[in-house]
Amino acid sequence: MSKTVLFMIGSIILVAGMVYWLFNNERSVGRPTASNDSKPNPTEGTKSGESEVILLCAASNQSVIEQIRKQYEDETGRKISVQYGNSQSLLAQLEISKRGDLYLPADESFLDNAKEKKLVEEVIPIATMPIGLVVKKGNPKQIKTLADLKRNDVRLVQADPEAAAVTKVARRILEKSGEWEAIKEATKAFRSTVTEVATDVEIGAADVGIVYSPVLVPFTNLEFVPIAELEEGISQVSLGITASTNQPSAALHFARYIAANDRGLKTYQQQGFTVGMGDTWADVPELTIYAGSMLRPAIEESIVDFEAREGVKVSRSYNGCGILVAQMKAGQIPDAYFACDMEFMSQVTDIFPEATEVSQNELVILVPKGNPNKVASLRDLTKPGLRVGIGHEKQCAMGWITQNTFRESGMQQELMSNVAVQLPTGDLLVNELRIGSLDAAVAYLSNAAGAAEFLDAVEIQGIPCSTAIQPWSVAKNSKYPLLADRLFQKICSAESQEVFVSEGFQWQLGSKQVNVPKTTTTQETTAPAVSDKE
Amino acid sequence: MIEVQDLTVRQGTFTLPKISFRIERGQYAVLMGKSGTGKTTILEAICGLRKISSGKVWIEDVEVTNWSPADRNIGYMPQDLALFPTLSVKENLAFALDIRRVPAKKRDEKVAFLANMLGLEHLLKRRVQGLSGGEAQRVALGRALSFDPSVLLLDEPLSALDAITHTTSQKLLKDLNRQTGVAVLHVTHNQAEADALADICIRLPEVIQSEL
Amino acid sequence: MKTLRQSHTRKWRDGIFFLVMGGLSSSFIVLIILLLIADITFTSFTEFRNALAKPEIQAAFKLTMASCTVAAIMSVWVATPLGYILSRYRFIGHRLIDTIVDIPIVLPPLVLGLSLLILFHQPFPFSKWFGEGFILDEFLRQTLRFPVSFSWPAVILAQFTVSCAFAVRTMRVTFDQINPRAEDVARTLGCSRAGAFLRIALPQAMRGMITAGTIAWARALGEFGPILVFAGSTRFRTEVLSTTVFLELSVGQLDAAVAVSLLMVAMAVVVLVVLRAIGAGLNG
Repeated sequence: MSKTVLFMIGSIILVAGMVYWLFNNERSVGRPTASNDSKPNPTEGTKSGESEVILLCAASNQSVIEQIRKQYEDETGRKISVQYGNSQSLLAQLEISKRGDLYLPADESFLDNAKEKKLVEEVIPIATMPIGLVVKKGNPKQIKTLADLKRNDVRLVQADPEAAAVTKVARRILEKSGEWEAIKEATKAFRSTVTEVATDVEIGAADVGIVYSPVLVPFTNLEFVPIAELEEGISQVSLGITASTNQPSAALHFARYIAANDRGLKTYQQQGFTVGMGDTWADVPELTIYAGSMLRPAIEESIVDFEAREGVKVSRSYNGCGILVAQMKAGQIPDAYFACDMEFMSQVTDIFPEATEVSQNELVILVPKGNPNKVASLRDLTKPGLRVGIGHEKQCAMGWITQNTFRESGMQQELMSNVAVQLPTGDLLVNELRIGSLDAAVAYLSNAAGAAEFLDAVEIQGIPCSTAIQPWSVAKNSKYPLLADRLFQKICSAESQEVFVSEGFQWQLGSKQVNVPKTTTTQETTAPAVSDKE
Repeated sequence: MIEVQDLTVRQGTFTLPKISFRIERGQYAVLMGKSGTGKTTILEAICGLRKISSGKVWIEDVEVTNWSPADRNIGYMPQDLALFPTLSVKENLAFALDIRRVPAKKRDEKVAFLANMLGLEHLLKRRVQGLSGGEAQRVALGRALSFDPSVLLLDEPLSALDAITHTTSQKLLKDLNRQTGVAVLHVTHNQAEADALADICIRLPEVIQSEL
Repeated sequence: MKTLRQSHTRKWRDGIFFLVMGGLSSSFIVLIILLLIADITFTSFTEFRNALAKPEIQAAFKLTMASCTVAAIMSVWVATPLGYILSRYRFIGHRLIDTIVDIPIVLPPLVLGLSLLILFHQPFPFSKWFGEGFILDEFLRQTLRFPVSFSWPAVILAQFTVSCAFAVRTMRVTFDQINPRAEDVARTLGCSRAGAFLRIALPQAMRGMITAGTIAWARALGEFGPILVFAGSTRFRTEVLSTTVFLELSVGQLDAAVAVSLLMVAMAVVVLVVLRAIGAGLNG
């Protein structure tokens, strides 16, 4: 009996001891970084209790991400935990367990899939990987073309087309050229990751495989052979921020590091990837946005949310577009410009080569609530004694459009004679109306929306150029083009669109177009006598 | 004293026919029947190691039908002796006393007494593996008697012994019965044993194959 | 009168008997030895040492030792009563339970891992009793402050699920071989069922328990699929040696993978020898 008891007690003590050790070990997960003594003070360092950022990463990106991770941990003191696997099983894991802050599959198609399933929010492009063949150094079997893969003395292996991106892409290309079935037949085996394919060739279990060129970096005895038939096979490696992350700023902080020109992208390039443009690295980047003042109610909230989520600063300047353009011409150049109208955007084509139309705003006549002066149309503004306020033609788009509108109506001179004041922004006009120093104002519908309790808006009918179209553009020399793009994505999100509409805008998202510089010929329209329609 | 009334037990798919008998204090009873007639089953039922389909069991005039084996005060010696392999001879003998938390001195006295009575003094420290047939049987006997049971149930105790040990053991059993006054229920298929030992003889009827 | 004659053919036949038996048996032994030699010659001693010096590998080693030991001991603790019950008692559902216990053995390991993942992360049947949208993992992590999935308890759970099944088989056989009569006698001598189990059955089962523990430990060491899916294979946190081999392989670090494989072989041999010694010592 005593022996039994001894064993039972002994086993319990052993288990207790091990569990205790495991608990402690977890608490102090001490990961040795290069410089253990002089660790820089992390700006928003890992607070006690905050968990690490978790990155789900495709196997093909393992060696490059490991390097970036070490750099990141050394530089910022924040810890990252990475899980490697093939793109598909990582996605499945994300779907089931909702665990993971970042997802880096080997091909964008997985991110599209993930977005559809609402698993991923932001997507940041990182690099591209060309597809080609891997053979032993020296290419002993002289495998140079697609036809060589079908030779009897050549053993071909590939990664699983359902699970790994590389074969998915290869299949896409080869199906188009009709060669997929033949190549599939010739494939001796399908492995679960692209690295296993390289390993097979290295060990000698196969003669050739279809891989991404960066996968071969850790292998010393292998050679990459690009072939014409797979030339268009370029995989876009992009990083997704998961929808289930509960620390988006930390995740985006690391994501920005990876996507930074002078940090992660450099490593990517060194390891054989082709990189596009990226942002410059900054711990807390500061984005500068110039926007027409009428856009403030539409975008301010979105920008605040964006700041919180990304963990960045966005300094915004709302003003009349004319003033903003003047500032820009004087040398104060923002990262992005959200103009009130294409007119002003086209004055700065050297800074903003492309622009995207986003929304529309109508000119309306604002009157005090109840419309005491019974203003029903533009014509009514010519009533003698009426004090009208408009925007200044040079200072803001609103003013410029107003002039066009007046001209179109054919009553420009009569209307101008009632103009008491010309101000740079619609908000100022609204103020004057509320104070009572004006009887009417010509401003945007969005200005009316903001002051609906005190004002009424009267439609200006029949004059097409009274509608302003707001374009967005990112400066070509901006340090943070990707970040600015993400802000734009935020502005184009469904919630933001709702805000625009509720503020009186019309949502009209166009495609990115070349910003055509303003022509010097003025819009001298011989306005036909337009009868004011009600 | 044992009394059994209308005892029916299930054995495999068979139900043994009802049996009833009574054994008085100090009596030596022999239970006889052909092999396969369920003698072991009945012993187990009396011990409380097997569920009874119907019937009653009394020990010392107390009805113990639903009692656990530990309370019935029965000494049981199965056919294969079932000595405790991880315990020494001494520990086997002392087992029942240890369970009852008998103080060490009294326990050792009893063990010495049993060892003396059964000729086991020189074997006390030995492990039970490697004992001869006769020695093992005496240890089993001693173990069964160690707590002064009212009844001793023996399942074919002499079957596996050689001729000489057989005779000595037979005498030993009879002496034990006379000296200690413990009632004995001895199961065997050997008529000669029955003639030599029995005060009363109980015959088991043939098993009738019955459906459940 | 019959004259005795020595049969020469019998000698031949005996010879052939030994040849065939020896040949078949040794083919397996030789295969194992060849595999080990292949591994050893693939890597050099310096590579072996370098690989083992890596802090990730050392962390994985410690975690492996701890988790395998805990899983093995837990398995024996659970398998012993279960094996005893299955061996000694016949009850309704006996066969069903028998089958259920064998499920982790026949199920593909990845299925096991996936099932564990789903159990912890999706609302399971009757979970509504605990509240709408009850997710086991969240409950453990937030209410009990004991995170399971993707953390070391997950490793132990994954290992336990499989090794316990093997341990139960072993303990069942062990108790089958122990004479139940001894326990019966013990009960007539005044023991309760518990007493009979603890004093009589269990001491006899000691060797079987060591065997069960050994099998459980070895199984836990080799377990890979469920750990990968359920616990992840995060460096320094849930990486055990079996998943290390996978990770190193997936980066193309063949040398490190082989080095760790050999380390696992060495560990297994050491533990087997130690446990055998304990088992033999018990018999003394």
